[in-house]
Amino acid sequence: MPAANVAAQVRTSLATLKASDLQDAQIMEVLKLAHQLTDTMKLFFSSLDQSICQEFNYIAEYISKTRDEIAALRPNDIKTERIPSAGAELDAVVADTEKATEVIMSAAESVLCDDETDYDTYRANVEAKMMEIIESCSFQDLAGQRVSKVVNSLRHVESRVARFAEVMGVREDVMPKTEETEEEKRNREQLLNGPAIGGPETSQDDIDAMFADAGEAAPDLDQNSIDNLFD
Amino acid sequence: MAVEMTMPILVVDDYKTMIRIIRNLLKQIGFENVDDAADGQEAYEKMQKNKYGLVISDWNMEPMTGYELLQKVRADESMKSTPFIMVTAESKTENVVAAKKAGVNNYIVKPFNAGTLKAKMTAVLGDF
Repeated sequence: MPAANVAAQVRTSLATLKASDLQDAQIMEVLKLAHQLTDTMKLFFSSLDQSICQEFNYIAEYISKTRDEIAALRPNDIKTERIPSAGAELDAVVADTEKATEVIMSAAESVLCDDETDYDTYRANVEAKMMEIIESCSFQDLAGQRVSKVVNSLRHVESRVARFAEVMGVREDVMPKTEETEEEKRNREQLLNGPAIGGPETSQDDIDAMFADAGEAAPDLDQNSIDNLFD
Repeated sequence: MAVEMTMPILVVDDYKTMIRIIRNLLKQIGFENVDDAADGQEAYEKMQKNKYGLVISDWNMEPMTGYELLQKVRADESMKSTPFIMVTAESKTENVVAAKKAGVNNYIVKPFNAGTLKAKMTAVLGDF
């Protein structure tokens, strides 16, 4: 029962008591005070009920909005179509490059091991193997197209997630820190950073500074910079 | 002391293609006695059974990385003096410094060529 109704009920009971033939002046005084109190409480509970109602309305609207945004995110499309498709494309890239590498390596090894005594046969074999190598390099075109599709899928997912985060008012600075996974821990401990993009050059001065202060964040090294560490 | 061209060399990499590339480069340089392993654990087990004149190892492998292999090799009396060259795409300074501290003899970043490999092998083993 809403609090305002309870207060009204108490008030009615008090009015009934007052109307009855009570002789004790002190009891009448208490009833009068109680009446004033219930009037005050009624106002308080009315406003309280209204604010709770507003809160629930706000929560209901928020849930509805969230549901709409999740629907716009099309999570099933991302989960069942885009991500598996991107994974399949990347698997295909690995398979294509592996196949091409095998052909190219075998052709090169065949030429290196070939008998050079019969010049004409040797030349014909070298030309045939060179053509095999050239043909195999077409994998780069296919790999490029497959990677483009993966990049497009990632951009699609990125834009939808970014929009969702924006609409939901997700702020990274107030998000709790996620726990480090076992894989992340191992990567950190084993310094598994992976290949660098671009491979920026580092001067000897930078290397000297890094050795002087091991704790300082360091850029990637090229082969010449690494050589200098071993001189 | 001259380098024995028939000395066994252990190449450690989880990519068969890279093992094949290094085998071919070593063959061009003149080393044909080459064994291989797919990760640090397999390499360590092979090193317990055989004596190698040089280990050429990748860094990023599962379950045992080249860095772990290096640390284990340097901590093992029976193989601690085996020359060890790291050949890896890990080019951050922290990787190079960590490998050097762990006792690596030289460090090559991928991609590389026969000239670089030969130069590093010469720096570690001497002229051949």
